[in-house]
Amino acid sequence: MSATSGSKQTLLVYSAQGYDKNTVTAFQKATGIPTKLVDDSTGPLLARIQAEKANPQWGLLWVDGNEAFAALDQQGMLKKHLQVPALTSFGNKLVPADKSFVPSGVTLACAMVYDSHAVKSPPTSWQQLVSSSWNGKIGMNNPAVSGPTYPCVAGLMNYLGGVSQGETFLQKLKSNGLHVSQTNGDTLHLLQTGQIQIALVQTTAAIGAAKTTPGLKVAYLPKETLLPSVMGIDAKAPAAEQAEAQKFIDFVLSGAGQHQMQTGDPTGDSLYWPIAPGTSPLPGLPSLSSLSTQTVDPYAWGARESTINTWFSGHIAQ
Amino acid sequence: MSQRLAPESGGAVALPVTAGGRLRSLLPARARPRPGLSGIMAVLLGLLLVVPIGAFLLVAVMPRLFDQGNALFTLGAFGAALSGPSLHALGDTALVGAGSAVVAVACALPLALLIHRTNLIGRRAWTVGIWALLLAPSYLVALGWERLFEPGGVLVRAGVNAVFIRHLLYGPAGVIGVDGIKGVPFAYLAIAAALPGLGSSFEHAARVHGAGRLQALRTVVPIIAPAIWTSFAIVFAESISDFGVAATLAYDAHFPVSTFALFNAVDNEPISFPLAAAIGCTLVALAGLALLAQRRALRGRSYQVLSGRTRPYTRHRFGRAGQLVAGAGVGGFFLVALGVPVFGAISASLIKNLGTQLYGFQLTLDNYRRVLTGSDLYTPMLYSLRLALIVGTIVMLLSVPVARLLTRRASGPVAGMLDYLLLGAVALPSIVMAAGYILVYNLPVMHSLGLALYGTTTLLTIAYVAGALPNNSRILIGPLAQLHETLLTSARTHGATGATAWRRVGLPVLSRFIVWVWLYCFAGTLLELPISELLYPPSQFPLSVAIERRLSTYDFAGGTAMEVVAVVGALVVTGVVLALYRVLAPRGWRNVGAATS
Repeated sequence: MSATSGSKQTLLVYSAQGYDKNTVTAFQKATGIPTKLVDDSTGPLLARIQAEKANPQWGLLWVDGNEAFAALDQQGMLKKHLQVPALTSFGNKLVPADKSFVPSGVTLACAMVYDSHAVKSPPTSWQQLVSSSWNGKIGMNNPAVSGPTYPCVAGLMNYLGGVSQGETFLQKLKSNGLHVSQTNGDTLHLLQTGQIQIALVQTTAAIGAAKTTPGLKVAYLPKETLLPSVMGIDAKAPAAEQAEAQKFIDFVLSGAGQHQMQTGDPTGDSLYWPIAPGTSPLPGLPSLSSLSTQTVDPYAWGARESTINTWFSGHIAQ
Repeated sequence: MSQRLAPESGGAVALPVTAGGRLRSLLPARARPRPGLSGIMAVLLGLLLVVPIGAFLLVAVMPRLFDQGNALFTLGAFGAALSGPSLHALGDTALVGAGSAVVAVACALPLALLIHRTNLIGRRAWTVGIWALLLAPSYLVALGWERLFEPGGVLVRAGVNAVFIRHLLYGPAGVIGVDGIKGVPFAYLAIAAALPGLGSSFEHAARVHGAGRLQALRTVVPIIAPAIWTSFAIVFAESISDFGVAATLAYDAHFPVSTFALFNAVDNEPISFPLAAAIGCTLVALAGLALLAQRRALRGRSYQVLSGRTRPYTRHRFGRAGQLVAGAGVGGFFLVALGVPVFGAISASLIKNLGTQLYGFQLTLDNYRRVLTGSDLYTPMLYSLRLALIVGTIVMLLSVPVARLLTRRASGPVAGMLDYLLLGAVALPSIVMAAGYILVYNLPVMHSLGLALYGTTTLLTIAYVAGALPNNSRILIGPLAQLHETLLTSARTHGATGATAWRRVGLPVLSRFIVWVWLYCFAGTLLELPISELLYPPSQFPLSVAIERRLSTYDFAGGTAMEVVAVVGALVVTGVVLALYRVLAPRGWRNVGAATS
């Protein structure tokens, strides 16, 4: 909501980040800009934005996954040509040509977190996941429900050569007893109660679970898909609110903002790889360059998101 | 025992009687409902229900009107809702609705008879149990069952691999069973509300004419047919619109139901409000079928039994064996209905990391310490508490005139439309209503009119009221249907104005049920989730949203501890209100329809 408070416009932030509450509070304190937060999962936030399409209320959106932002950009819902603060060279590669959204950090879409008591040698390739030795022991989220899981599926399809190859692989995974849950919490619960032995979840959830639950360990498969956390500004927001949203972006990528991101959710979303110069990742995170990663084109895969999610819900999640 | 409403010996009344056109003609004209009441209620319900629901209907066929698609007019969304997975889900939903209604009434009827018409030991405790079951969020009940029977769950750890029960639970039988158990309080309240009007005279009359106990029961039970049919309708509508079980047990059982399909349409990619609206329409149509069945069953008959001649009933007195059997039956029900979810909640909140394989069963109070010392619980709890008090009071005040309109025969087509509207609203998932509120109250024209309520506590409150009013009004139908018109007419014949007649006659008869409505509404609002999720104002988290946040960050123990504290808080408020009613209400009010011991 863009109500005014005194002489300043109120900035309304829609966010799915675990560190958003403290970051918004710190931003408000640092700038004096009245800021309100709607904190929710990515799916409900995107639904809310669609419902408000005729009269958007949000000023800034901050969630994981640039595919969703690419889709919003293609619908003309994002302000273009944002001022991008200083980023690492790697971070700059994640900024789209029209500068309609800005990354604030990077995670991986689907790392493996496994029960080391039951699994002595975790799989080292995607193909091993469909072998009989892992029958009924693997779980993942439904990308239609869990925002960060779509980049996982898109990355898998990209790695395997295309949508049809990816669908074939996922069908095999399903035939091999894949457990599909709604969110990271549900999938991790299956892991912690011994119903599965390997969970494919976002690195923030995987590393966080391994930090808090003895016996859980994290492993990485080849060509892990990079999953940036991203900020974008509502194209229809009042100019004053857009300016405040730009200041929010600047703050998040400043030293003070990075401190908030790294302290707000230390066993969850704070476990990201920074792209702001001079900020190091938290202890416990492996060096990103030591891992085999890939970047998928957010515009190409963002346009396919609806179709792939519908297919996944109808063929894999059922 | 009070004789206030039984000033003279009342003979048995032959029931059911023919619908009273002749009786109506004898009533003074001013006793009939005034057009003003219908008009006010029509406008109110129009704003609360018709406008947002109507907006959703329009989204289904005219998505462009709300910028939710390009088509000016299309039936495509209905095509999608009535084919493929959506149709499959609709079939499952109908099965769940019918099955759970049967389960709920089959449990609630004997429970109500035993608690209200016998000297069963522990009646107050059982009543508290009903309220506890009513207060428990359906997803908590479902999760309790899952924690117990899931692979790697509590029973498996204990060495009991209940494969057969697990197989039943994770399928239609389990979903129907849990929804049915959750429906028991609705059916119980409707039936229990009707029982006081059923004086012992009917039972005695049957016994005098040679009927045995069971035969007498068969004679008496049809007299409360309105309450039974209302129970069927309410539980059916509640079950087909329930989201908690759909999103947990039904999802895990790969048993898709319509509410989850609808939720997927509005909450996940690809987002489709038109499809959600079309699915919502199919749910309303299902509820319409329930209403038709209810109407056909009651057509042409009157069940008015509470009049100035009604005598208090006498409780049936059990011997020792009877107490044992009845107590075991009732205790067994509550063991299943409450024992399982309570065990799930308590174990989740007391055991470190939910007693996972990695931690074993380590008991700890840390989860409670965490939630009670932080602000994550207090701030949302105070916010929801304030809203629940307001909403409970508003709904209490509105549900009486709405229910009155529904039960007055002179209301005619207005009552018919209202009945359908309210039952349809019960069936309509709250999340759809909330999305309708977003669509309507966020339109640019609303901002131009100065009605920019979206994102405010005011709109959240209005939505809570709109969500609670249908159910609560229908709960009052039973007792109001049994409030014989002659009671009010007599008061007015003796010079009382309409308002005085209601205050002196109607209020004493209905006061207990009105208090129930307030309590039910209060508790429902305190833990309401779907409307809260979509309409909570920025930076102000209702209790359910705060709990859901906690659960979604894998802190099952902390989230469950918050749930336990919230439910205990609601039970405390319930106890205080009931105690206040007992202390403050005149004795005669409390003894209307009371039993003699």
